[in-house]
Amino acid sequence: MNGIITTIQRMSIHDGPGIRSTIFLKGCNLHCLWCHNPETYSAKIELEWIADKCIGCGECMSVCRTGALTVDAGIVQLDKKKCMSCFVCMSNCFTGALQKVGREISPAETFSEIEQDFPFFKESQGGITISGGEPMLQEQYVTETLQLFKNAGCHTAIETNLTVPWEKYQRVLEYIDLVMADLKLMNDQKHRQWTGGSNRQVLENILKLEQSGKAYWLRTPIVPRVNHSKKEVEEIVAFVSGLKNIQKFELLPFHSLAASKYKNLGIDNFFEEENTISQKELECYNSILEKYKVIRK
Amino acid sequence: MSTSQYFRFQRRIEQLRKKKLEQTHEKIEKEGSLDEDDYGRIVPPVDGWETKANHKDGSFYGIDGWTDNFCDLMANHLVYVDPNDAFAGRWMYFLSRMRSNKWNPDYPYEHLQENIDKYNIICGIGDDAHFAPDYSMGLELGFGGLLDKIDHYRKINNSEEQKKFYDAHERAVKSIQKWIKRHISVIRDMIEEESDFELKRNLYEMAVVNENIVSAPPRTLREACQWIVWFHLASRTYNRDGAGGQIDALLQPFYERDMKNGRIDRDEALYYLSCFLINDPVYWQLGGPDKDGNEQASDISFLILKAADKINTSLNITIRVHKGMNEDLFQKALYYLIKNKNGWPRFSGDKALVEGFMKNGFDAATARQRIAVGCNWMSLPGMEYTLNDLVKINMAKVFEVAYCQMIADKNGNSTSDLWRRFSKHLEVAVHTAAEGIRHHLKYQKYNEPELILNLLSHGPLEKGLDVSDGGAKYYNMAIDGAGLAVVADSLAALEQRIEREKKISWEQIQYYIKTDFKGADGERMRLLLKNSERYGAGRSLGDKWAGEIKAVFVKLVRKESEQSNRQLFIPGFFSWANTVEFGVTVGATPNGRKSQTPISHGANPNPGFVKDAASLALASAIARIQPGYGNTAPMQWELDPGLAKQEHASMIGAIIKTHFKMGGTLINVNIMDKQKVLEAHDDPEKYPELVVRVTGFTAYFSMLTPEFRQLVVDRILEN
Repeated sequence: MNGIITTIQRMSIHDGPGIRSTIFLKGCNLHCLWCHNPETYSAKIELEWIADKCIGCGECMSVCRTGALTVDAGIVQLDKKKCMSCFVCMSNCFTGALQKVGREISPAETFSEIEQDFPFFKESQGGITISGGEPMLQEQYVTETLQLFKNAGCHTAIETNLTVPWEKYQRVLEYIDLVMADLKLMNDQKHRQWTGGSNRQVLENILKLEQSGKAYWLRTPIVPRVNHSKKEVEEIVAFVSGLKNIQKFELLPFHSLAASKYKNLGIDNFFEEENTISQKELECYNSILEKYKVIRK
Repeated sequence: MSTSQYFRFQRRIEQLRKKKLEQTHEKIEKEGSLDEDDYGRIVPPVDGWETKANHKDGSFYGIDGWTDNFCDLMANHLVYVDPNDAFAGRWMYFLSRMRSNKWNPDYPYEHLQENIDKYNIICGIGDDAHFAPDYSMGLELGFGGLLDKIDHYRKINNSEEQKKFYDAHERAVKSIQKWIKRHISVIRDMIEEESDFELKRNLYEMAVVNENIVSAPPRTLREACQWIVWFHLASRTYNRDGAGGQIDALLQPFYERDMKNGRIDRDEALYYLSCFLINDPVYWQLGGPDKDGNEQASDISFLILKAADKINTSLNITIRVHKGMNEDLFQKALYYLIKNKNGWPRFSGDKALVEGFMKNGFDAATARQRIAVGCNWMSLPGMEYTLNDLVKINMAKVFEVAYCQMIADKNGNSTSDLWRRFSKHLEVAVHTAAEGIRHHLKYQKYNEPELILNLLSHGPLEKGLDVSDGGAKYYNMAIDGAGLAVVADSLAALEQRIEREKKISWEQIQYYIKTDFKGADGERMRLLLKNSERYGAGRSLGDKWAGEIKAVFVKLVRKESEQSNRQLFIPGFFSWANTVEFGVTVGATPNGRKSQTPISHGANPNPGFVKDAASLALASAIARIQPGYGNTAPMQWELDPGLAKQEHASMIGAIIKTHFKMGGTLINVNIMDKQKVLEAHDDPEKYPELVVRVTGFTAYFSMLTPEFRQLVVDRILEN
């Protein structure tokens, strides 16, 4: 079955061990307000306007039937609400400033695109990572794709928010070498507030993972206003300290690199004013990690 | 070694670094910018030595002209001694560039000129050096041994021309010896005047070292380094020769003997090696297989890297990556590359180089000895004559000729017709380049004999023939193609936008090329073409065309080989620093390149060729277009500082190793902070120590011309 992806990112170095290709699937059942990949919120293929490439020529406007595109002071404005995602404007854009975000792709096509980087995976002990969005929302595509790579001897990983029922994971785990999941907040109410979903299933699934024998990493994004506090971090670390089979626990700093994505997609950015958190800032949590004997890698 | 001794060496090295920067600054001040290697050369005195002409055109040619001038220069060359240095000597004069004309007009090549101009060929006629001497021979014989060798063979080869040949080489060696003796005399005077006891002792040792090697071969590490320095300085002065050798293997026996005898310790060795490296950014190889395939890296290989780290100036050290490689040396090399971000070391890939060279009929043992000793090139030290990096065909110009001819013929346009015409013109261009090489080989001895490099080659003295004239053991002549990405992307853009998508017409393209994409419509058209499927993106139209170009270029170059004349022609893709001047001759091209702007660099895709993962795409693309006969198509890698962190060293290493496993031959790496390079571009004096790997060579960024700095900046920003 085909999947809808935003991109296949080659040479991904933060999504598992070694050099990897990360397949970002479109569509997510959470809506984390700080998300670094807002283009994966929606499961639908949508239009993106890249400011850096736009020369303000207005050619796109001439073919837009809904008036979603306007030019204001030489700068094109995209009104997402009016956009019908017909993409006619895109073919009129000479500079590549208007682009489709998302494409349909089959597992075989995915394999074919990535296959060229197998030598790099082999040398660096890397592989592929299926990420999102929430990949498990496209379970069939994910399963078939993982099968193909696994059969080719490629290391496979999945990045999931662990919000889907465990039974679904059980069906694909045999094709996965590594599971990576976020543990964002222990407080369910806050979790709902910032992500739009409960963390109950997440915590339940972590415990299932712990028992499954499958290699897994947990990562906590440290986000200003959300969990950038000793209290929130301590709650998470205390929970993690009880996990004996976890391979790696990481604190990931919030960064502001996704700001242009929000702008290009015309999505409100709730963290526009927030600065990137440095690795050094994260060191303030070292004492908590030491207290609970959790090694941050 | 006491701690105080260690710090004394440290202080001396710091003084040498400081002086080196002052000398570079003086060079820029007095001589202006230069888009070349640093060479370690220092500014000659005002009203210094001048050449003597022996031809009515005001230049000097032939064995007499060169010997007279070289010997006179040696007799008058300033003495250079720094009490902080372990070695005496620096070079100042580009003898080969002091001529008013570089080719003897008595041997004209007008019959080639039309096509040389038409296809913008750098023909190499009258160019020199660019093959490697065998320093092991020099270290074994010493200058006295070389004189004995000359004496021995002059009795065997005794024609009039050969008598002159041996006389000339004898004079050359003796002039170098006299140059050394003048240094010894000055050092002796300096000993008397030096008040610092340690520096006085250093000068005393320097004098003894030099006295020991004026005639006899070197016996210690310091003597071996000083011997190489003298030969190299003489060779640089003669014709800019910068080829080195397998430096760790060359110095290993001296180092180990000294260590065993307690003559030196590691700190002292480190001091010598630091002084040795700061003398001149010679192309040295570290690690790699010996002729039997065994790794040559040893303790001194690590020490040389450490010395390089200590001075951290412009350096041209290459690490040979191979199956039996010393992994620790590779990791150390990565560590220094990332730590210093100064463009060194670079890496060469043994597998493709050896397998490729063997396709010319050489055995594995010989192929393994062909090592990285030049800008983009490999050489068998002392065994071959090559014209490496000297003969280049501007393929973008060849494309322009074909394109203009097709448009002018008005017989209908198509990429298949354009390709047919391009192939035909390329055949003429390659043949012209080969004919130029043949002309050079026939007459170079009457123009510029290789008086110095002959001494450390196997054959010239034995046969009484110049290395360019049959003296060498092998003739493996290099022809490089330049502008690969411009041609591939142009063909891809035409096929995609006109023939496949039918978005534009040939007439429209022609209009915009003629008008250099002027105006808003022109810019839109330019961007449309530029955003076509480019070479390097992977399985793109550009990649397809690059593959076709490679195949035809390789076939045409190989076709020129003549086994009966012992002349092999070996293809490569390289542009050196000629991208700017090549670009000036070419109008706007269908890949959206504007008129007279630089052509693409070497084998690299055009900047911005892929949206992300440029490193992997680059490594894959360049591995695919390797010509495959032992010469290189280097990967010029502008490594993102975000990736260039020690924690990512294993991934950088993996990319290097994978590129070589896929068929890559040479990787030149730059790690440049964008902000820093922009600031240095605005005010070069702000970062006088900033070194950039321009191409196969490194240079001080501040020494480059503004145009070339801009090119480097664009390359870094767009990647």
